[in-house]
Amino acid sequence: MTVFKSQRVSYYYFVLALLLFGLQVLTGLWLAANYAFTIPQGIVDIFHFGTARSFHTNLLVLWLLLGFMGGAYFMIPEETNSELYSPKIAYIQLILLALTGVAALIGFSFGWTQGTPLLEIPPLLDILVVIGALMFLFNIGMTLIKAKERTVISWTLLAGLLFLSLLYLFGHPFYKNLSNEFYWWWWVIHLWVEGAWELITASIMAWIIIKVTGVDRAVVEKWLYIEIGLFLFTGLVGTGHHYYWIGTPEYWYWWGGIFSALEPLPILLMVWDTYTHIKDRKNEIINPVVWTYIIGSAIVHFVGAGIWGFAQTLPQVNYFTHGSQVTVSHGHLAFFGAFVLINLTIFYYAIPKLKGIERFKSTLGLWGFWITNSFMFIMVLAFSAAGILQSYLERKMGLGYMTAQAEMQFWFQVVLVCGIVFFIGTVIIIYDLLSLKENKAEA
Amino acid sequence: MSIKTAKIIFWVGSMISMLILIILTFDSMGQMAVRTKEKNLSEEVVAGKKIFRKYNCNDCHTILGIGGYYAPDLTRVYRRKGAKYIESVIMDPENTLKNSFRKMPKKYAGGYEVTPEEVKKMITFFKWVDGIDTNNWPPQDHKEKTFGGNSFYQNNSAGGTNDLTLLKRKGCIDCHKIRGTGGTYGPALDGVGSRFNLQEIRKIIKEGKGNMPGRDISEENLQTIGNFLIKQKGGQK
Repeated sequence: MTVFKSQRVSYYYFVLALLLFGLQVLTGLWLAANYAFTIPQGIVDIFHFGTARSFHTNLLVLWLLLGFMGGAYFMIPEETNSELYSPKIAYIQLILLALTGVAALIGFSFGWTQGTPLLEIPPLLDILVVIGALMFLFNIGMTLIKAKERTVISWTLLAGLLFLSLLYLFGHPFYKNLSNEFYWWWWVIHLWVEGAWELITASIMAWIIIKVTGVDRAVVEKWLYIEIGLFLFTGLVGTGHHYYWIGTPEYWYWWGGIFSALEPLPILLMVWDTYTHIKDRKNEIINPVVWTYIIGSAIVHFVGAGIWGFAQTLPQVNYFTHGSQVTVSHGHLAFFGAFVLINLTIFYYAIPKLKGIERFKSTLGLWGFWITNSFMFIMVLAFSAAGILQSYLERKMGLGYMTAQAEMQFWFQVVLVCGIVFFIGTVIIIYDLLSLKENKAEA
Repeated sequence: MSIKTAKIIFWVGSMISMLILIILTFDSMGQMAVRTKEKNLSEEVVAGKKIFRKYNCNDCHTILGIGGYYAPDLTRVYRRKGAKYIESVIMDPENTLKNSFRKMPKKYAGGYEVTPEEVKKMITFFKWVDGIDTNNWPPQDHKEKTFGGNSFYQNNSAGGTNDLTLLKRKGCIDCHKIRGTGGTYGPALDGVGSRFNLQEIRKIIKEGKGNMPGRDISEENLQTIGNFLIKQKGGQK
């Protein structure tokens, strides 16, 4: 059972997020097919790769943000020991964001786009996104103001969400100079994933760890401070690893290289402190799935964002890998480990509570976890193989782009097969989460 | 460690980094105006940029290495392919990319087609982008001077700068195949010596032919490439 009635709003955020997750993976399969095979001109003229890509990435951002928002609506009442300021605002905001999302996808298909990679949503719809974000921040902010208890976790979560909303604005003025445009573009993309989103992830992680392990809040919050401090210390100047080749000065080699080489540290710290908290747990393991997702999230976060990121962050390496499939490999594993798994963790923690389930059957949840994780990892290895080939053939040997792509095509076919299996895992997870029942047999 | 120490670490760490980022951003903005040759940033270039966004080009192509990885990077497309090729591939992708296993739309989302005036504006935009100082990125377009100022293209082949190496360095094999390596946009170069005489080969390289752009090339390199190609005899297509 949930402690507060208003936590209920989060359920609808989770359901919508899950459905969009399925759709996002499905569009990913289409993208992989575009790489693996020749798509005839007739289809390209109706629905080209670029449109499909804008679906894939915007759906990703939309569902992750809906998951974070739902997560916040679930956590904040318990953290502040009070009901949400207004569940009504939360529902209106969800409807607004859902409609904006639908309008954006339909718009993309008909050429209504801002044309900026990852930030394709046109200005008019952006206003709706901003209104949705303001409603959310107002709601959470007012809950905090009216509450008696304000914890480090609540502050971190609110700071992350506020930071996220502010940064979004940098991507939207029209810049005449392409280099300037991309300079600020990275303030959205990089400072989201290595700043704001990490604050949100870290606070959700800390909160769930307190809830499931029962370890001392003071200890968890202390480490939370150090982790987010390190995330921001390395991540802010670490933006510089995107400023090597876009018309920016050469000194970014040093600032970007050194600071971003330190970026894996806070994630490593997170793995370590998750491990110790779980080892020192005071509670028994009731639902193994939740524990599996917590540990999985910490580890894949480190491998995808930390190791795969570090592998190409130094300018000597990045000179050859920038804008290649190596970037794609890192992008997939980092997003999956850092943000998809933390979302699924909070879903698996919160949805049973929202449905009044204490103990649920873990078979499907674990199958879903292992299928998605294994095949995501193989897929990332295939992307990496393609990326290394591309870096070598195109950038080092000087072969033409398509000549190099022809050599890489086998690996794209591997990606497609992995993607199909990954999709099956996704469907299992979605089905499982939406059909959880009390497990009387093991109780 | 106490929570107080942790708090101090957080505030000091994040504020120092924020401060460095802001200072470097101010400095970068000043330097970028020079490095991107902002004085050449005309209204036509801006118009071209808007058209580049209108057709969502950037979700298949990267430019400055940013965007979709499905199609070639466009940072140096102007020097790589020339205006004529750019126009041909945008206006008539079906024929220009007949031999390519990856296609480019003729009609974009919503059924829109690029107009000839729009292509002209986009070419102006690409020409301006070509002038941005990118620290010699991408490597394959800066074969004379790559990372750190030196070139690895000069010493990665036993043959030095003659024959095949030069064909690679000059980007011929982006489009043409020779001895099984190279692109498929243009005809293979095996047997080219049986189809043209030296005079014709030199003329084609300098002035272009069909969709092939002409090249600014030194007499020395022209001689090396010409003499190499004329020796490629045989019955290829």
